[in-house]
Amino acid sequence: MGGTIGIIVDISLNSLVLSGVFLIVAIGLNIIYGLSRIMNMGHGALYAVGAYTGYTLVATGFNYFVALVIAPIIVGGIGLLIERTIIAPMRKRSMVYTLILTYGLMFFLDGMIKYVWGNKPCFIDLPAFMQGTLSILGTQYPIFRLVTLFLIAGIMGGLMLFLNKTKVGLILRASSTIPEMVSCLGINMSYVHMGAFVLGCIMAAMAGIIAGPLTTIDPLMGSEMLISSFVVIVIGGLGSLRGAVLAALLIGFVQTLAEFFITDLAMVIVYVLMAVILAFMPRGILGEGKFE
Amino acid sequence: MEKRNKILNIEGIQTYYGVSHVIQGLSMYVENQEAVSILGRNGVGKTTTLRTIMGLTPPRGGSIHINGVDTTKAPPHKISKLGVAYVPAERHIFPGLSVEENLMMAARPGKGKDPWTLEKVCDHFPVLADRTKQDGSTLSGGEQQMLAIGRALISNPEIIIMDEPSQGLSPLLVQMITDVVLKFCISSGITMLIVEQNYRMALKVASRHYLMGTKGKIVKIASTKELMEDPEIIQSHLSV
Repeated sequence: MGGTIGIIVDISLNSLVLSGVFLIVAIGLNIIYGLSRIMNMGHGALYAVGAYTGYTLVATGFNYFVALVIAPIIVGGIGLLIERTIIAPMRKRSMVYTLILTYGLMFFLDGMIKYVWGNKPCFIDLPAFMQGTLSILGTQYPIFRLVTLFLIAGIMGGLMLFLNKTKVGLILRASSTIPEMVSCLGINMSYVHMGAFVLGCIMAAMAGIIAGPLTTIDPLMGSEMLISSFVVIVIGGLGSLRGAVLAALLIGFVQTLAEFFITDLAMVIVYVLMAVILAFMPRGILGEGKFE
Repeated sequence: MEKRNKILNIEGIQTYYGVSHVIQGLSMYVENQEAVSILGRNGVGKTTTLRTIMGLTPPRGGSIHINGVDTTKAPPHKISKLGVAYVPAERHIFPGLSVEENLMMAARPGKGKDPWTLEKVCDHFPVLADRTKQDGSTLSGGEQQMLAIGRALISNPEIIIMDEPSQGLSPLLVQMITDVVLKFCISSGITMLIVEQNYRMALKVASRHYLMGTKGKIVKIASTKELMEDPEIIQSHLSV
C-alpha cells in the first residue's frame, strides 16, 4: 500500500518541520528566560516581525537565503533597542513587572505590524528550485519543506557551535548556572542579559522567516506561535534546552497527527497532553532550571 | 612613611541582609603582599565581609578602597577588574562546563614575566590536567577546591579573597590545599585575605589575624607569633 506509506512519510516529515519551528522559537524564549528570568510575552510578535521583514526583503528582490540572514540581523537590532531602552531598566524588579512590560511590547509590536504591513496575509515568493515536489516513497513532498528541514538542522547546529565553541557562548552557559560567580570573574551581567535577549530575538526571527512559506504570514501568527512555544518550554521544563528539544518533537508530532485525524480538536489535544504531563511532572520533562 | 601601601582598606562598613544588620562597623586593612586571615565562629559575618568586599552585598555605610580606588558601591565585575579574585566557600564551579572551560571563564593576561595560563595551571595542578575535558561539577570536593584556586590564579590577580578553603575536606586534603596556597599564592607575592574556621590552617598561611566576634566586630588583632605563643587568645576571644 504505497498510499499508506506515503501518508506516514507525509505526516512524519510535516511533524519534523513543525517541531523544528517550535524548537527554534522555544529555544529563543528559553535562553532569555534561563539567563534573565524574563518570560518575554513579545517573543511571538518578534517571530512575526521576522517573517514580515523576510517577506519584504524577498518582495523587494532579495534572494530568500539572503533574506534569511538579513531579517534576523534587523530583528536582532530591534531586540537590542528594546532591551536597552525598556527591559534593562526593569531588570532588578520582580518577574511580574517584566511580564506586564513584555505583554505591552507584544501589543505594541502587533500594532506596528498592522500599521506597516496591514491586515492582509502575505506570502513569501520562494526561489524556483524550491517550488515543486520531490517523490519520496510514494508521496509527492514539497521541496521547500525539505529545504526547511535542512535549515532547521543548520540553525540548531550553528547554535550548538556558538554555545559550545565561542567565548560568548561559554559565558552564556556559565551565566545560566551561577550568574553571581560570572560577575565575580569580571563579566558585566548587564551585557550577558543583553546578549541573551538579542540572541533570543534572532532565533525568533529565523523561525519566522523559515515558517513564512509554511503558513500564511498574518498578524495572528505571532500570538499563535507564542502559545505553542510556551507549551513547548513548559512541557520541556523551564530553562532546559534538552527538554525543549523533546517537547518540541512531541508537540510537533501530536499536533500534526491530530490535525490529520481530527482537525478541529488539534489544539485541544495539545493542551490536554500538556495538562496530563504537568500533572505527573509539574516541572516539565527536564525542568532543572538551567540550559546545557 | 608607611612601609607598604594598603591594597585593601575597609572603614566602618555596615552591611545588611534585608533588615538584618549583619556587619556593624567593621574596619580592617590588608597591605600589599600580606596574607591576612579572619578567624571567627559560624555566623559572625566572615563570609558577609568577603561578599561585601566583592560587591555582592554592597554596604549601606562606611567605605571600601582597593588600591586607592573607592569600590564601596562598585559592582562585582568592576572589583574583579581591579585585580581581585574570589574563591567562595561553595567553590561555585560552573556545572556543565569542563574543567578547561571553567578556567577559561576567568583567564586574563598577566603582567609579570611568568603569568598564569592554562598550561601553567595544568603543570602545577596535575589533578586538573588529567581532567580538562571533564564536567567541573563531577570533580571531588578537593579537586573542585583546586579548580576554584586555579580559576583564581589564572586571572592573574593582585589579591585573592578566599572563603574557608578547608571546608568539608579531609585533613590530608586540607594539608594539600594549604601547600597550594602557600606555594602558588603567598610565595609568588599575591596578597591574600582568607576566612577560616580551621585555626591551624590559618596560622600556617597568614601572618596577621583578625578575630571576629558577633556582627562583624573585631575583638582582637594578632600576629601569627602572638597566637602561637599564647593559644589562649583564640580560646578566650572566640570560644562560646
